Amino acid sequence: MTDLLLLLPEIVLVVMALSLIVVARRVERAQSAAIFTVIAAAAAIFAGWAFSGAGPATGFGATISGDGYAQFFNVLFAANLALAALLSVKHLDAEHVRPAEFYALLLLSSTGMMLAAAATDLLVVYLGLELMTLCSYIMVGITRDRSISNEAAIKYFLLASFASALLLYGISLAYGVTGATDFQAIASAASSRGLAGHPLLLVAVALVAVGLAFKIAAVPFHAWAPDAYQGASAPVAAFLAAGSKAAGLAALGRVGLIAFAPEQRVWAGILVGLAALSIAGGSLLALSQSNMKRLLAYSSIAHAGYALLGLVSGTPDGISATMTYSFVYAFMTLGAFGVVIGLGERGEDLAGFRGLAATAPGTAALMLLFLLSLTGIPPTAGFAAKFGVILNAVRSGHLVLAVLAVVCSVVSAFFYLRVAVYMYMTEPQGVAPGRLPAEVSAALAVAAFLTIMGGMFPETFTAWTVPPS
Amino acid sequence: MSEYLGIVIFFVLSGAVVSAFILLSSVLGPKKPSAVKSEPFECGEVPFALPMGRVDVKFYLTAILFILFDVELVFLYPWAVAYRGLGVSGLVEMVIFVVILMAGFFYAWDNGALEWS
Repeated sequence: MTDLLLLLPEIVLVVMALSLIVVARRVERAQSAAIFTVIAAAAAIFAGWAFSGAGPATGFGATISGDGYAQFFNVLFAANLALAALLSVKHLDAEHVRPAEFYALLLLSSTGMMLAAAATDLLVVYLGLELMTLCSYIMVGITRDRSISNEAAIKYFLLASFASALLLYGISLAYGVTGATDFQAIASAASSRGLAGHPLLLVAVALVAVGLAFKIAAVPFHAWAPDAYQGASAPVAAFLAAGSKAAGLAALGRVGLIAFAPEQRVWAGILVGLAALSIAGGSLLALSQSNMKRLLAYSSIAHAGYALLGLVSGTPDGISATMTYSFVYAFMTLGAFGVVIGLGERGEDLAGFRGLAATAPGTAALMLLFLLSLTGIPPTAGFAAKFGVILNAVRSGHLVLAVLAVVCSVVSAFFYLRVAVYMYMTEPQGVAPGRLPAEVSAALAVAAFLTIMGGMFPETFTAWTVPPS
Repeated sequence: MSEYLGIVIFFVLSGAVVSAFILLSSVLGPKKPSAVKSEPFECGEVPFALPMGRVDVKFYLTAILFILFDVELVFLYPWAVAYRGLGVSGLVEMVIFVVILMAGFFYAWDNGALEWS
């Protein structure tokens, strides 16, 4: 029974999701459901913290781990859930989405992410990621009367289920060669029985990497992201950009460091390719975007590449850098999406930011903060995080990759700071935007606080970024 | 391999009996085709147009509700077989599983999925 302590945060979220489903017909306003979702997220963080040493090290037949790695990502996913819940309140009422169902899906999707980060077995990783994406398909298409939203959901569903099939095929091949789906058992079978370098195992490594690369939207498996983000309502896009990327990175980190440690050279080679293509592709494709959601989608693709820089070395230090990166990225992208959401209809288009500094100076200043952080300019958290992953790439001898990352950072400054130029250096157009809704302001305050803190005191995060054991 | 001989004989016999029946009825049976006879029998929609047309969404709802109970059965059967070995913890786990499924069923019921109107 003590095994259940390991899953306490997940249990809290599932119980709240089921309660929301049962009372769904009686929930009229998004606000009440959002409050309960935020409470559940806070309770999940508290449960994870209060019982951090109480349970066993691993549970459920050594498929779930309660190590610091899992706890770190639990906090990240719970915070992402709370911020996404706050950001979506106004949107749901405006788009006539039934709130209880939406928040139940949000809760269950976060549960899947937590499960994927805590799993030490390939099948449980698959289970968690699948729970996450199944809920995401519905959330992307939840505004049923908008055809662009339906199209986005179908595209996302088709591509992501194809990716899931590849991941499953990789898992089955790994099982076929080593006779195990457990991370430790796969690694020990590969190293002790001389199976390292077995061609089928290498195919399995490649397929698992590709399946997980789909989840983090790394080039060339990124095609779903811009369409899905643009078609989804902005809060859902923010939730996916921050959460589903972190879940994929969490799984990649644990699988790479433990399960496929004997195949480190092949694994690193695949990740180097994915990272280089994502950084270059994401930055270049973002240059021509004028829709804010598409712009942030391509930015998320580029950031997936930067986050992968920490994993190419296969060292615990590198994984810590990636953990910091996904944490910081989650909050700066939630912040940028939050401003887009707060501005409503006009925030979706780049032209809507014209002269914003004159009409809404506070909102413009917040957006500038998040844009600077996304670009990686000190003293924001984005700089510290990017410094960490690029340093890791240099230390592990991937100098060309590091140079590419720095050059593409300069390229990305062009499209991030173009928004800033629109805000500060052009004449205002139309009427001034109204005040930000209170829920959006609260979410933006949290995101801005963490973005500044992470830049001023970058070592605060490193104490919590415990690599998987 | 000899223990599989019975199965092979069973396969051959059942195949022979089935093909004999189909052959005999197609050779000996009376044939009076009419428009009514070539329509879909009992279940399914009568095709008024090409199959690209729309199917009532209520069929999907029924199919999804069927899956709910189908999944429940898939897990209940092995649990019932292994019930003695699993003991109380198995019972508790199964109750939790059924409660989660019933929450979904209650949602569907509450929102009028069972009303065929």
